[in-house]
Amino acid sequence: MDAEIRFTLNGKSVIFIGNPLRRLVDVLREDFGMLGVKEGCGEGECGACSVIKDGKLVTSCIIPVGSVDGSEIMTIEGLREKEEGKCLIDAFADGGAVQCGFCIPGMVLASYVLLRSNPHPTEDEIRLAISGNICRCTGYDLIVESIMLAAKRGEELWTK
Amino acid sequence: MDEVKCFIPKSLDEALRIRKEFHAKPLAGGSDLMVSYYKGIGIAPVFPFPVMIISNLSDELGTIRKEDDGVHIGALSTPNEIASSMVVPYPVRKAASLMGAPSLRNTATIGGNIGNASPKGDLPQPLILLDAEVVLRSVDGERRMKVDDFILGSKKTALADDEIITGIVIPEVKATHYFYHKIGMRRANAISKLSLSALFDVEDGVVVDFRASSGAAGPKVRRSRDAEEILIGLKLDEVSGKTGEFLSAWNSILSPHAMPEYRRASTRRMLLGFIEEVASGALPGNYE
Amino acid sequence: MARISIDDDVRRNDAIEKASGLARYASDYFFPDMLYARMLRSKAPRGKIRKIQTPVLPYGYYFISAKDIPENGRNALHMISEDWRCFADGDVRYVGETIGLFVGPERSVLESLERNTYVEIEEEEPAISIDDAINVKGGPILEKDDVFCQLYCQKGRDMDEVFGEADKIIEETFETGFQEHVHLETNGAVITKEGEKYVLYISCQCPFYVRKSISIVIGAKDEDIVVRQSTTGGAFGGKEHFPDVLAGPLLVAEYVIGKPIKLIFDRREDMLYSVKRHPSKIWYKSAIKDGKLTGVKGKIYYNAGAYLSSSYVVLQRGVFHANGVYDIPSTYLEGFGMATNTFPSCAFRGFGAPQTLFAIEMHLTHIARRIGVDPVEFKRSMFLKKGSETVTNGHIVENVVLGSMLDDIATASDYWRKSREYGYGSGRGIGMSFYNHGGAFTGNGEQAIIKAHARLKKTGERVTIEVGSTEMGQGFQTTLRKIAAAVLEIPMENVDYPNPDTSVVPDSGPTAASRSTMIVGRLIERCAVEMKERWGEGDFSVEKEYEHPDGHPWDQSTFRGDAYLGYGWGACCVELEVDKRTNEVKVVGIWSSHDIGKAIDEKIVHGQINGGIIQSLGYASMEKMENKNGHFRQESMSDYVIPTSMDFPKQEYFLEDNPYEWGPFGAKGMGELVFNGADAAYVDALERALGVETFKIPLPSEDIEEALRKNGR
Repeated sequence: MDAEIRFTLNGKSVIFIGNPLRRLVDVLREDFGMLGVKEGCGEGECGACSVIKDGKLVTSCIIPVGSVDGSEIMTIEGLREKEEGKCLIDAFADGGAVQCGFCIPGMVLASYVLLRSNPHPTEDEIRLAISGNICRCTGYDLIVESIMLAAKRGEELWTK
Repeated sequence: MDEVKCFIPKSLDEALRIRKEFHAKPLAGGSDLMVSYYKGIGIAPVFPFPVMIISNLSDELGTIRKEDDGVHIGALSTPNEIASSMVVPYPVRKAASLMGAPSLRNTATIGGNIGNASPKGDLPQPLILLDAEVVLRSVDGERRMKVDDFILGSKKTALADDEIITGIVIPEVKATHYFYHKIGMRRANAISKLSLSALFDVEDGVVVDFRASSGAAGPKVRRSRDAEEILIGLKLDEVSGKTGEFLSAWNSILSPHAMPEYRRASTRRMLLGFIEEVASGALPGNYE
Repeated sequence: MARISIDDDVRRNDAIEKASGLARYASDYFFPDMLYARMLRSKAPRGKIRKIQTPVLPYGYYFISAKDIPENGRNALHMISEDWRCFADGDVRYVGETIGLFVGPERSVLESLERNTYVEIEEEEPAISIDDAINVKGGPILEKDDVFCQLYCQKGRDMDEVFGEADKIIEETFETGFQEHVHLETNGAVITKEGEKYVLYISCQCPFYVRKSISIVIGAKDEDIVVRQSTTGGAFGGKEHFPDVLAGPLLVAEYVIGKPIKLIFDRREDMLYSVKRHPSKIWYKSAIKDGKLTGVKGKIYYNAGAYLSSSYVVLQRGVFHANGVYDIPSTYLEGFGMATNTFPSCAFRGFGAPQTLFAIEMHLTHIARRIGVDPVEFKRSMFLKKGSETVTNGHIVENVVLGSMLDDIATASDYWRKSREYGYGSGRGIGMSFYNHGGAFTGNGEQAIIKAHARLKKTGERVTIEVGSTEMGQGFQTTLRKIAAAVLEIPMENVDYPNPDTSVVPDSGPTAASRSTMIVGRLIERCAVEMKERWGEGDFSVEKEYEHPDGHPWDQSTFRGDAYLGYGWGACCVELEVDKRTNEVKVVGIWSSHDIGKAIDEKIVHGQINGGIIQSLGYASMEKMENKNGHFRQESMSDYVIPTSMDFPKQEYFLEDNPYEWGPFGAKGMGELVFNGADAAYVDALERALGVETFKIPLPSEDIEEALRKNGR
């Protein structure tokens, strides 16, 4: 049973016509080519498929596309075009946060949501904000430091 | 392959009609249904029953407010919304704040957590401590029942096939001391191995109310009002003398199969610690 | 663009691409008319296949199995030996063994075909645990017993004499569990044809391993198969040999079908049906005389699972590290690789060393406590040093600076005060461990088997690195570019190092064994030195072959001599608190010091240290993978949990500058070293906090309860 789902994807209006129970991660990757959205676990545990839905971090592997009707969705493909995204990506590169990279797009999105609501986070607040984004490579320290670096460098970006 | 019916109602009234006619199961955050029926990358889940996606009804079902009969929490309220609402009593707030990952706390719903009735669910346990009620609505009307009565066992509830959970009501509870502790498989983003809530209401050195409820300990949350009675009415300095009796009465309600030694012993040690602390004159407040 | 020097702080070349979501992993490849594949696997651990009945296949769908292997092919994956079959045929030997591959356009249809296929297996009694294998439960898996491989090595005096003279003998047995890699990217590959060649895009560590392993399946020449590594989202050893198990069946399918085919495991498949770290059972018997350790006898059993894969080499490394970092006067160490009906165990960061290093650390800690000295003091008195004889009768060739490493972390952590003041069983504890890791292949592997080649190609002002070594997150593409650029004194941006393609690059050996910087880095350094001298000659290439440093005798038939060319060394300190009500453990401090010769890039090394230590702490504390009747019980990232950002605190680390003669700029291997010891430091601290001895990892809170109960607490 096809449904017509209209939503905003990285600032553009899009229409999805099809099975509303298809997982958002599959639709974003395979119908809209948003390959920066990664599938790590398929059960909302690892955060690799994180996207931002109406300003909130969600895992797109447990959301049916039918539930994003009228929503605004941002993936790493959208964030990387924004000043805030560039600031974070640069900070992640300079801070040594990236190893295998599979968790990183989701991690960058989680950091964006954090800094938007809390431009001067403490180490504990950062660790809490990324606690749903599992990384097997880094042990997290350099990711945490990179987010601090982005907070510092992007000062006016995060407080505007 | 059989085409499965999926509805996307635009209002609660429409949802209730679909529920009545097709018995479609509400799908809100997806953290239960979408995971249970996951079949692989690139495969849409196939449910053996009709479903309706209700996540867009949060205008009607997503508010949290205090009323005369208690705190009303809409069924689509998320753990993050519950955790940040100061009108919600401490154990429920705390439990909500420790559910899964930050992203899950944006998508899971209190209605789903109760309707799912998983023994590992985080919210039923403190709700049962507080004698919370679940609000069930159908096209024919509304009824309320205690969460403790609503959840019949593991994955079993008293929900009728034309009803939708629309909210939770937590009656006003007087308490001077609250306790909540969750033991997960790790320090964050974890399914509960065990959780425990308890409360004391102490007035003029007398225990006016005492309750304890234990989660992830068996097919459903356990409370024993008979055991609680052992401590109620005692003067604080009499509590220590009765703690042993309470703990053995409490212990007897936990089935040994569902409760391996570790969980039983931890529950006992946590309860003992909290009771002793209060009995020895701990200040009112929230403990964990 | 500036010329670069080796100590400059640089950005990883792959960081922006990965963080922006632009990097292409295996699952991100799409081709026109691409089909998908789904594996049909054994649901029984051991038995005879009586019948395989698939549903009627819709048009455009295929079922590929052993029957599709061409006549000139062999049903075997050529890893180190040829025992692991491409498809089960006639019998099954473990749960998850590949029986066939469904191929077709719709993944939902493939799922339904797999689910509705009836496989009748006449089940036989399986051997699951090491004890089962020792007892040959269910009859021998191999010809006469369940021993895949065994070895021993001996140093010093006759052990009976040593034990005869001892005034105290202590015997203990330790066990370690399965560990799952949980690389965030699951296993996956896409195969297609370009002309007559089969082309694989695959998430892997060793493209040349894949090529060698699968070409025999269809009787092709190695050159007929082109392996292109796709950006690899973590590996940790899990993508050393295991990608062959995807690639073999895919190649047969491609041979039959001839269209692009994609096979990506979902997380459940990757958890249940991929290789794991070898569980171990390690017995030590130690002789103590006048407060000194005079001899250790050890029996080391590793559960290899149903096929040998790399287990013999893993076992050798385990045995050769079984003395830890200690000069024990007499040792007799025996190792046994046991065949069972569990999923084959294979490489995992540390490659057999972590199990024995954990066991010897805990054993010595227990001995120290029983003779009443601080474990760190006891261990310090026995540290190996330059010239010390190894357990294989070779010698330590480098300066060992463990003493100053110990001092660094003891000062930073305030170890001596805390060790004295925190009471045994007080709920707080601090612990320390020492470890090493032999760099590069064990024994004469580099010289006799691998014979690595590397090439530098100059085109105008640009230089391309051509090696088969892969980036899997460890930073090798940056490390190697930095080495080349620093020697050539050119900007790093002028050096290219694309993901390897076996039809283009020479075989520089597998990306494994902490050998890449030390061996391949050295080769590129040598290429660059020559290229710099000839820079004015225009466009040309320089290729070098591995040269074995003199003075490292090794006899592979007796396992005598220098088992490794050099070692990385480590020391780790962990402080923690235990909630006595719930046995929840909170780590409050982690300090480490490592000697890796020289850090080519300190930021990359920093990330490796952090990640390796957290992985080891996960192994010790929470990563529990159980196997019941051949089935793994943990099947998702919610029931097999790995550390989050909130489980462990920020680490403090030290690096020793101790250049290694034969490494590029003095560098040695380090990727595995950093995994090898935090587990023992954690358990040492935990034992002190709890006031009990423990004998196995992992130790989640329920297992701590059991340890307390056994000790009557």
